[in-house]
Amino acid sequence: MARPDRRDPTQIRALHCVLGQLNRVDGSAQFSAGDTSVLCGVYGPVDVKLYDEKLDRAHIEVKFRPDIGVPTTKDKWVEDAVRTTFEREILGQLHPRTLVQINVQLCQGDGSVDAAAINATTLALIDAGIPLRAMVAAATCIVRPDHSIIVDPTQEEADSALSTHTFAFSNLQSNSPAYVDSRGEFSLDEYNACYDMCIAAVDRTLAFMRTAVEGKILKETQTAL
Amino acid sequence: MASTEQLTFAIETFKRIRPVEFQRRFLSQDTRHDGRAFLQFRATHVVKGTIGTAQGSATVRIGNTTVVCGIKAEVSEPDVNTPDQGYLATNVDLSPICSANYRPGAPGDEAQVDSEHIFRLFGEVVDLKQLCIENDQAVWSLSADIVCLKSDGNVLDAAIIALMAAVEDLKLPQASLDPATGVVSADKAIETQLTLRKRLFPATFSLVDDAYLVADADDAEERLTTATLLVVLDDQGHLANVWKR
Repeated sequence: MARPDRRDPTQIRALHCVLGQLNRVDGSAQFSAGDTSVLCGVYGPVDVKLYDEKLDRAHIEVKFRPDIGVPTTKDKWVEDAVRTTFEREILGQLHPRTLVQINVQLCQGDGSVDAAAINATTLALIDAGIPLRAMVAAATCIVRPDHSIIVDPTQEEADSALSTHTFAFSNLQSNSPAYVDSRGEFSLDEYNACYDMCIAAVDRTLAFMRTAVEGKILKETQTAL
Repeated sequence: MASTEQLTFAIETFKRIRPVEFQRRFLSQDTRHDGRAFLQFRATHVVKGTIGTAQGSATVRIGNTTVVCGIKAEVSEPDVNTPDQGYLATNVDLSPICSANYRPGAPGDEAQVDSEHIFRLFGEVVDLKQLCIENDQAVWSLSADIVCLKSDGNVLDAAIIALMAAVEDLKLPQASLDPATGVVSADKAIETQLTLRKRLFPATFSLVDDAYLVADADDAEERLTTATLLVVLDDQGHLANVWKR
């Protein structure tokens, strides 16, 4: 069954990102996959509230705001996804008793928003110079009503899905996902097929991120000269 | 005799001041501090109909974790976009009554995430079209409140089991809309139960101390958990959810 935008089942949308466009935060990144666009701004390490202070590591806080309206429990879900993923990747032990605040703003939503939020956060943390154990990228797969599997669905494609699967992998351990959110009605075979498809998509996203960061560093060293 | 008493005292002290080391002593010997095997779940008790004033209710106990779910039904107007569907709102309540981990006031992050998760899960279970009284005019709106009374780990599994049991227990009085007056009247003598699409069975596994995979972690083990995996199966052998964080 052909996709509305004529992509292959394993083809992700065109990726685009801009690093460091916000001048008040310590680091920022705007990440876009097709029409889904997420802006992430990071402060850190900064002062932490006494209640949240951790003696041996940094406190990680994530705020996600939707494109329209006030934040609801749906947005808390994305915050939880981002926070639990990056609590493991941020080397918080290097900055004890501080706060790393991650602010994610959905600019435009057209499916695979959770994955875009994670991708934008990785780039923003690198832009801010927060020490990371690894880069993390995420991708979403869905099983369509005809049981075919496609990667990086648009909202229209996701609305009719039998099941939705979001996986995040780091560039260190590709056999152990950093985050998994699979929901709907699916078989173990479908789960494994989505797993494999998402690993391939994540590899391509990580390569894109690497190029983006290399480009930024090149530009910075050139202007410094 | 005196030396045995000193040893017992020392274990309790050791458990409090060195909780990680205390757990490691058991886990490294392939056992857990309450004597369970790694993949052994605690005994689960489910009682339906525990709240007389609710249309559906259940109380679930997994070890010392106790969760109560009550479902109240009200009549309301359907959403314009879905005129033949009712509502199911799920709310998980984690308050200081169940554990010192939670503060009083508005629902915290964990409660909100659990509420959202359960809401998405039960979209597969309850057919909202069954809650229609009169198309485009009156539908049943179900409010499911899942309250944790006592938290000793794995509250999410207990919450899912409690809501599942409460939805099975749910009895709605036969309702009809009088077109002349626009009033919905319910006949308590005739009650209907929902026909559920599927039944869900949750299982939570925790990676304790980044090394040991255990099933149904209790509070002491949850404090040392570095990763959690929830798997939910339905009664037809399909997977309904895999959630790892």
